[in-house]
Amino acid sequence: MIGPSGSGKSTLARALAGLVPHELPGSWCGSLRVGDLDIASTPARVVSGQTGIVFQEPESQLVMPRVEDEVAFGLENRGWERPAMRARVPGALELVGLAGFEARATAALSGGEQQRLAIADVLAPMPGLLILDEPTANLDPPGMDGVFSRLASIAAARTRTLVIVEHRLDAALPLADLVLLLNAGGRQLAFGLPGEVGRAHAEELARLGSWVPRAWAGWTADDLPGPGAGMVQPGESRHEPELAQPVEGHAVLIADCVTVRYPRAAEGVERVALSAVSLVLHAGERVALVGPNGSGKSTLLFALAGLRRPSGGTVRVAVGGRLPDLDPARLPGRMLARVLGLVFQNPELGFVASTCAGEVAASLPVQGRLPDPADQQVVRALRDFGLEALADEDPFRLSEGEQRRLGIAAASVIGPSILLLDEPTFALDRRGAEAVVGLLDWLRTDGQAQLVATHDPRLIAVCDRVVALDQGRAIFDGSAAAFLADPPFRPAEPWRR
Amino acid sequence: MSFLPAPLEPVRPALLTRVAPVTRLVVGIAWLGVAVIVAGPAVPFGLAVAALAALVLLSGLPLARVPTRLAPLGLAALGLGLLTVLVDPANGDPVARVALALGPLRVTDAALSAGLTIALRLAVIALVSLLVFATSDPTRLADSLVQQWRVPYRFAYGTLAALRIVPLLAADWTAIGTVRRLRGIEPRGVRGRVGAFGNELMVLLVGAIRRAERMALAMDARGFDGDQPRGVFRPIALGRLDAAVLVGGLAVVIAAVAAGRG
Repeated sequence: MIGPSGSGKSTLARALAGLVPHELPGSWCGSLRVGDLDIASTPARVVSGQTGIVFQEPESQLVMPRVEDEVAFGLENRGWERPAMRARVPGALELVGLAGFEARATAALSGGEQQRLAIADVLAPMPGLLILDEPTANLDPPGMDGVFSRLASIAAARTRTLVIVEHRLDAALPLADLVLLLNAGGRQLAFGLPGEVGRAHAEELARLGSWVPRAWAGWTADDLPGPGAGMVQPGESRHEPELAQPVEGHAVLIADCVTVRYPRAAEGVERVALSAVSLVLHAGERVALVGPNGSGKSTLLFALAGLRRPSGGTVRVAVGGRLPDLDPARLPGRMLARVLGLVFQNPELGFVASTCAGEVAASLPVQGRLPDPADQQVVRALRDFGLEALADEDPFRLSEGEQRRLGIAAASVIGPSILLLDEPTFALDRRGAEAVVGLLDWLRTDGQAQLVATHDPRLIAVCDRVVALDQGRAIFDGSAAAFLADPPFRPAEPWRR
Repeated sequence: MSFLPAPLEPVRPALLTRVAPVTRLVVGIAWLGVAVIVAGPAVPFGLAVAALAALVLLSGLPLARVPTRLAPLGLAALGLGLLTVLVDPANGDPVARVALALGPLRVTDAALSAGLTIALRLAVIALVSLLVFATSDPTRLADSLVQQWRVPYRFAYGTLAALRIVPLLAADWTAIGTVRRLRGIEPRGVRGRVGAFGNELMVLLVGAIRRAERMALAMDARGFDGDQPRGVFRPIALGRLDAAVLVGGLAVVIAAVAAGRG
């Protein structure tokens, strides 16, 4: 199932699993049959015996602390006898490549392993229909690789029907016998063989703001356009004139041999999260920070932002156009905020106000001004980021893409000379991702340095430089083109263009 | 990144890890009830000694890690005991026997006994909760509650699922504070701080509710809806060992009470 954000893909997936209209009520018409069950008139419990659904986030669908108990959970619910469960659990784990993981703690698995466990959970009762709602959205490339190779072997066995909602189309499309295309209004555009649907609708799909698989179009990352129409006037400077400007191209942040050790964890061993990582950020430069989950990307962002004091090495940032000579961990709060901004993957964690305008205005005191939602700068930022119609809306009610833009808008009002971002295009469709990249381009025209932790090859392609981490070490620092031509990781979705 | 202490778990098989969690729960409740109800320091003292002996001999817990784990409660017990000794109303009684006098400070026998009782009761609570809850994982406790006590499984396993979210919430809480700091948001004054704290709590709550909703949906999609007989993957049987622990545990209570009287 393919379509832009808001096209109802998840709703349809949940209906197939019997969760709509029973667990998630709404008005319903038409008829939906799964096997010989009429969904609208069959209790969800009965439907759940025939279907299994896997959701996006592994951590909010796993229930039990131990792997084998987790797989048995769904079988217990369906009243299986113990010997049958004992026999089935290892088989289900085997199917997803987790044989021998029975006694492991679910919390200690990687994201990819957790997601494969979630697939084993729903495969265990042997449903005829397996539904996957963006199963790899939260995974890094190796995790995604593992999930897709397992799905490929499950699909090849031809013993059950698979329905996959995915925006990583290059990986998902080769598995598909049929493609259902939905538009932004939730209407069916096409249903048919992938090749035919692609030929007839690839252009329309791109226009709708959805990602388009490479097999369907000669589309490359170079297509990522600038700011969305009417959002930003190019050439317009957004900084207040009295703010000191960093000198174009000069180093604004120098990290030298940064090492971070976590104190004794559960096993009583010290874990080295970062090992002698050195990194320089220049004004006006956008650098991608890549690496598998757990490779130390977040720890590095925290160390650079002065939030985690390194156990070894130094971090120095430039303040007010001087040479980088100040330790961010020693800067007073407001000064730090003017130099460094950090935009988290989940913008909700940062929300402080009940309206979008208030949210942006909350950044103003850093510049010694009152947090007035009607302030000229707030109004302008909302306009620039395409959020003016939502000024009085509750930030928690926005879509994911809007929340991401609001988070960056609030950081941009301060105008930090260094902006650190964690997965800014995560889970966005093409339109959402383009809007974010366009805004980052625009913020950079004034010399802002940007460090972007990401798995997204499209975003990497629009960075100047790539720093790759693996197990806490920097294993690559060079141009994005050189990285994409010969990536040091084995990715599932081609980094290669 | 983990901000929660590592759980204290048994490192070797021991008597208490082999009995059903409900057996330990019954004995634990009996010990706690008696330690709190019976007046005077003698009974809680006897039970604290017995609990300590059980911890060393029967629990299988890594003893080296127990003191750090019990330190907060231990300090609370000491502090509360000392406070009771100093401010007990019996100190003002002119005819009461004085145990200790230091200038204006006057501590009577009754106050000393009251303080000791409070401290020992807290010690019993700390030790018994370790013996009951740390000797097996939460899954076994949930299993035992469902199988032996017919606790509704939606409640037992729902609670288990909620426990899984706690570390995630701890990480969220740290992140919430961090984002605010980096946005230069510095609440001023008591009202500002209280308001900011309330707002942070709200953000945490919204996230927790979202997570819980998604989890409930995933659980229901796996047939967890409470109106069909459920299979048992990890049966827990009550045996002779449970009977022995039950009898032994209750015998300790009776002995402690008898010794306290005598």
